[in-house]
Amino acid sequence: MGANVKTIERKGSTPQERFYLLEIFKGMATTFGHFIRNLLDTRKLYVRHYPEVKPEIPVRWRGRHRLTTHPDGTVKCVACFMCQTNCPANCIMIEAGERYDGKTEKMPVKFNIDLLECIYCGYCVEACPVDAIRMDTGIYSVIDNNRESFVIGLDELLKTPGAFSEEEYKKGGA
Amino acid sequence: MSKLDIFMLVVRVAFSAFVPLCFIAVCVWMERRGAGFFQDRSGPNRANIFGFRAAGLVQNLSDAVKLIFKEDVTSAHIKHKFYFVLAPVLVFFTALVSFAVVPFADTLVIGGKSYIMQGIPIDLGILWFLALAGFSVYGIILAGWSSTNKYGILGGLRSAAQVISYEIPMGLAVISLLVVYGTVNLNEMAQFQGRLLFGFIPMWGAILQPLSMVIFIVAAFAETNRTPFDLAEGESELVAGYHVEYSAMKFAVFFMGEYVALFASSAIIVTLFFGGYQIPFLATATLVKGAKPVAFLLMILLPVAMYYFAGWIRRNNVSHYPRENDPRVFEANIYIKCFWALVIFLELVLLAILFSESGGSAAHIFVALLQVGTFLLKVTLMLFVYIWVRWTLPRFRYDQLQKLGWQMLLPLALLNIFITSAFVVALS
Repeated sequence: MGANVKTIERKGSTPQERFYLLEIFKGMATTFGHFIRNLLDTRKLYVRHYPEVKPEIPVRWRGRHRLTTHPDGTVKCVACFMCQTNCPANCIMIEAGERYDGKTEKMPVKFNIDLLECIYCGYCVEACPVDAIRMDTGIYSVIDNNRESFVIGLDELLKTPGAFSEEEYKKGGA
Repeated sequence: MSKLDIFMLVVRVAFSAFVPLCFIAVCVWMERRGAGFFQDRSGPNRANIFGFRAAGLVQNLSDAVKLIFKEDVTSAHIKHKFYFVLAPVLVFFTALVSFAVVPFADTLVIGGKSYIMQGIPIDLGILWFLALAGFSVYGIILAGWSSTNKYGILGGLRSAAQVISYEIPMGLAVISLLVVYGTVNLNEMAQFQGRLLFGFIPMWGAILQPLSMVIFIVAAFAETNRTPFDLAEGESELVAGYHVEYSAMKFAVFFMGEYVALFASSAIIVTLFFGGYQIPFLATATLVKGAKPVAFLLMILLPVAMYYFAGWIRRNNVSHYPRENDPRVFEANIYIKCFWALVIFLELVLLAILFSESGGSAAHIFVALLQVGTFLLKVTLMLFVYIWVRWTLPRFRYDQLQKLGWQMLLPLALLNIFITSAFVVALS
């Protein structure tokens, strides 16, 4: 089995191309076509009018994190530290405590994510054994004017709802 | 000197000093919005004053405000602070002064007295431009050297080498033109181009000397450090070349100098090859005689052009997404009203021309204004070509640039001189 060789035709050696000026004019005609089309009708620009028009976020897109809850509203996380151990950016800081409502033995008392450190790789979501952390909020723009507010805690993570329905999320194959 | 003399003096000096400065704004605007349209994006169109964006022109104001209020840093390692500050000034000044010899209208005759319509009334013409264009590179070299920075000095050196290679073809291209025109005075050149070849083709430099035109324009691109010859500031290898160390207004002066140079070289190209201020088929004498028919024609054409322009504004100055009470529609209506007011004002002026004494000083002034308008229109088109080329062609490699300069343009320019001289000798 010989390797599948594809010979690419070399361009630029014909006298016409060597002359250069003609090719320049061809290129200029192409760019001018774009210019005049856009000048005559600005609707034809390939532009999304952000921030007025928001981009569509697909289900598998990794946005800001959230912590999921049981149907009764209590935190699903069992403070197993899987996500913190797995995090390549070391941005998750969990402090575990005892849990008394009979669901599990441990729960997080502190769950901080430093969003300035986070690289949005989604390894925490992959690592979680109980589906407690997800990145399905659809939030892609995290802005503030001081560093401290980028470290988000347990309350903030629990408060944010997912942007998609459960079926959609499952279908997305996360 | 009468009052009129002093007035005309002020007008011509003010024109040649302030019009290039005003065109900086136009150039930057054309460059940024034009680049956007060439690349299928919209360019800066958000900056506004009370919702009026003026098609993105307001962005220039905000840029200027930003640059003026920015901290002016001069790094501690710079030893020759005087030269460091002098460099941008040199670039800007030489660019501005090189425009001073370009005539923007034919010699204006009022009451039997004639007034030259160029900044400095000297006959050096194209020689003045060549001298100052060559001098402007000193600013770049000085900036590169006094920055005490590897990238800066490399940018300066490249610029120096480039100017040496391209100054020669440029000068030689001009020589063949001088053989044709028989003068170095730019106003006489423009007057020459008002004549007709075989009675129906305008005798423009572009038609008489096409090869010289190509060589001159290529060399002018290199002289103004524009793409595809902007090696002196090649971002990919030199960060920003000679202006790495410059910030705030010092950088802005460099930037403005670049655009003034662009304007000046466009003006020179237009004057040498595209008839300068001449309207094709209508030489100055014909225009003065036929001022009234021309004014009448303009009176008809202006509202028609404005009608289509208003339609264009209305179509494009809207938000392209669902929006209640779109403020851009309101904005567009205001613009259209302003432009109609301008058209009405112009109509009144033209009406005054129609009722003035034929062949009188009013007709002369009207013709001069018409020629100024033509000149600025041509220069704007040439500026557009500069921008167009910049957003079409990639940058040359350094050896390709030198090869093009020495092995292609130089022999071609010499050949052109021989052919032109042979023709001129054979025909005379």
